[in-house]
Amino acid sequence: MVSTAYKYTQKECDRATFTLFTGLCKGCGLCMEKCPVKCLEWSNDLGVYGTPTIIPKDVESCTGCGICQLVCPDCAIVIEKIKK
Amino acid sequence: MALAPNMPKAWRAETKPHKFCPGCGHGLILKALGECIDELGIQDRIVFGCDIGCSLLSWDFFNADAIQTHHGRTTPVLTGVKRARPDRICIAYMGDGGGYAIGSQHLVNAASRNEKVTVLLANNCNYGMTGGQMAPTTLPGMKTETSPYGRDVEATGNPTQGPEMVSAITPEGAYVARGTTANLRQLKKMIKKALETQLNGTGFSFVEALSACPTNWRTNAKDTWNFVEKEMTQYFKVGELKVPGEKEGK
Repeated sequence: MVSTAYKYTQKECDRATFTLFTGLCKGCGLCMEKCPVKCLEWSNDLGVYGTPTIIPKDVESCTGCGICQLVCPDCAIVIEKIKK
Repeated sequence: MALAPNMPKAWRAETKPHKFCPGCGHGLILKALGECIDELGIQDRIVFGCDIGCSLLSWDFFNADAIQTHHGRTTPVLTGVKRARPDRICIAYMGDGGGYAIGSQHLVNAASRNEKVTVLLANNCNYGMTGGQMAPTTLPGMKTETSPYGRDVEATGNPTQGPEMVSAITPEGAYVARGTTANLRQLKKMIKKALETQLNGTGFSFVEALSACPTNWRTNAKDTWNFVEKEMTQYFKVGELKVPGEKEGK
């Protein structure tokens, strides 16, 4: 298992819990472009290279599809769907 | 609750964040490879070979034995490993510079001998590590450091189509495909089939992955995806070119 602990920020959205590991995110922005509902924006938290990281704009729009997690080259995003 | 990132188990977590540039396609290809290794459960049998260029930054990427060689020689070195230890799963990882330019003879000869190794090649249309010079895969008219007016196909020829070349010279039993980092699920299936081809011992397996180089293309995220999805796929057709047990041309 992963023994290294990375810094992270979390945002509870309506349909999913969005976790971003700022200790892994390099701020490439690939996830922002791939998001089908364009719900990601630049965040004030800085990533591992001192670049802005990302965060969902609001709690409603994220559908929890997990495409951002799929296209992240650094595995910096974890989406956990909230079961209803 | 201590949260862990959703990395493939085969990745070596201590070396992450990895050394590739932000937005680099290598991370995506190696993520797909890591997930395939996890699913097949072959991590303890892997011999991972990386080539010179940006791809060598993956030398400590996996919790597996790794070897780094120069200029496309990863293929013959791993061929030797495979011949000496047939129980090992040998994965040669290289870029288009190492595989198609300076090391193409190794790729061609290993393919025509139908060696039982897997070659995974990242095609990003330039030489990334040395600063974005023109590579054999640079698209016609594409501007690079050494083709500032765009690639002139009259003087430098057309871009190399690796999988087409390899599928033409490999005998039956080989697996040849071209995937793209813009379609990771498909790429993962291709890599998995390539590894299964090696596990079954039917022949050479080769997967080219269209990859992004935002640093040297000087593109933002939007243009990066646009280039990988639209411009590269116009010339480099994505799909399987040769599948063991199937007729050619599918």
